[in-house]
Amino acid sequence: MVTPDVDLSVRIGSLELACPTLMGSGCYGSGEEFAPFVDLARIGGIVLKSVTRAPRLGNPTPRLVPTPAGMLNAIGLQNPGIAWYLEHEVAKFANRPCKIIGSVAGFSVDDYAYVAQRLAARDEIHALELNISCPNVAHEGETFACDPRLTSRVVKAVRGVTDKALIVKLSPNVTDIASIAREAQDAGADALAVVNTVRGMSIDVNTWKPRLGNVTGGLSGPAIRPIAVLAVYEVARAVTISIVGQGGIETTTDALEFFLAGASAISIGTANFTDPRIPVRIADELRDYLARRGLNSIAEIVGKGNVGFASAFQYEGDEG
Amino acid sequence: MAIPPSGERAAVALGIYEAQAERASILFFVCGTRTRELAELRVGDHFAVTGPLGNGFTIGEEADVAIVAGGVGIASVLLVAQSLVRLGKRVRLFYGARTADLLVEKDRFASEGCEVLCATDDGTFGHHGFVTQALACADCKPDSILACGPSPMLRATAALAEELGVPAQLSLEETFACGVGGCWGCVIPLDRASAQAPPFPGPDAGGSDVVYARICKEGPVFWAHELRW
Repeated sequence: MVTPDVDLSVRIGSLELACPTLMGSGCYGSGEEFAPFVDLARIGGIVLKSVTRAPRLGNPTPRLVPTPAGMLNAIGLQNPGIAWYLEHEVAKFANRPCKIIGSVAGFSVDDYAYVAQRLAARDEIHALELNISCPNVAHEGETFACDPRLTSRVVKAVRGVTDKALIVKLSPNVTDIASIAREAQDAGADALAVVNTVRGMSIDVNTWKPRLGNVTGGLSGPAIRPIAVLAVYEVARAVTISIVGQGGIETTTDALEFFLAGASAISIGTANFTDPRIPVRIADELRDYLARRGLNSIAEIVGKGNVGFASAFQYEGDEG
Repeated sequence: MAIPPSGERAAVALGIYEAQAERASILFFVCGTRTRELAELRVGDHFAVTGPLGNGFTIGEEADVAIVAGGVGIASVLLVAQSLVRLGKRVRLFYGARTADLLVEKDRFASEGCEVLCATDDGTFGHHGFVTQALACADCKPDSILACGPSPMLRATAALAEELGVPAQLSLEETFACGVGGCWGCVIPLDRASAQAPPFPGPDAGGSDVVYARICKEGPVFWAHELRW
């Protein structure tokens, strides 16, 4: 195969990616787990598993349920806590041939700022992703990502403690994702990851019990792709900052949908479970796709699906 | 882990049944969409495999080993049985299945030098009842037990091993996602104090006396006394 001279590099705030493919948080460990199967120099970056202020045991089992065209998971943010993480884990991320993005989770605004400040202070960490699909314990357990004011508060607090690129991961489990996206942008986010998993559950008809230990979980995989593409499309019309599109991407065609909808980069999660070679294959095929069309860079197609749509007809909702 | 092209985004975990220089064989039962897809493959078809993954049974100084296998668990014990026989140990295979027709490969184990004792749920072959009952009734107690099979059989094996005062290693299975330790989906609770290889030896999550270990990475074989299930 000829390697066409096409520029796949993208910029997400101050984060420069040689290739627009990120590996989704919680799906890729720290990268070393996949290194025997994948040349990490050929992916853009790895979003690490979320870390919290205190160690977390994680959810009871079972934590995974296969579903049609996807899977449900409820891991429960099992992690050793930020103190242990900084002391024993972060140094291992040095000298990876791709970008390393720390993921921060928390249960209060203060938690996020505390963890983000300490994580971002490390040279091994090139950018931060905020996993705001967590309940705010001081606010009746309402999910940060589901409330514009909470989203704004948590992003402002983290923006105040780091200048590194800040990617805020939005939840699809909202009525109006564009309004949340605007709040995150106004609060200082450099980019938005669109979207996290869709809430779901499954019940065992023999035992009459939920099939996940945590009862509910997050649905990922191709089952959620059209939901995610729409979310990217709506967010792209609402903000000017970069978008990392994610949700069920398995093929180059899938990836292109996200770029055309307005994403500057994509994130691949569940697909790595069925074939860890997928991200590299997508990058190679994106080059071919662009070269065949006489295009020089991936940036040339970002959001072009938006323009085409808007000029073809007025988008007025889901009917029709 | 083998990846058939079905809709569900989870791989099928397979043990290597037999290995020779350049070839490995797998043994599986058709029980759902994904295993049916694997079974329908023809000579010359390709499918993706990630592996080999995880850690196998530990062989120690024991002279008399009981292998307990239930159902498709038989697929994961031939290699260890061969190794044990080669080392000159007495190897008894306690092999259970629902019915006689499902006791596949029992003659193979006999030809490898194992003493084979079978049990069936319906009494169509061997002991009528559970394979762990067959082991409990056996004439002399083994020095150690290795087991692979359905969860109720493994739990019964762990209980029997404790009763006999014999160390047991259990090979577990869960739904796997990444298979390489990256997603923390396939975990099993271990006793913090007795876990041989806890994934996080340091921090204590909320004073809990358990720690979740990954079946794909720290396992799939665990010591029965480590488990808190």
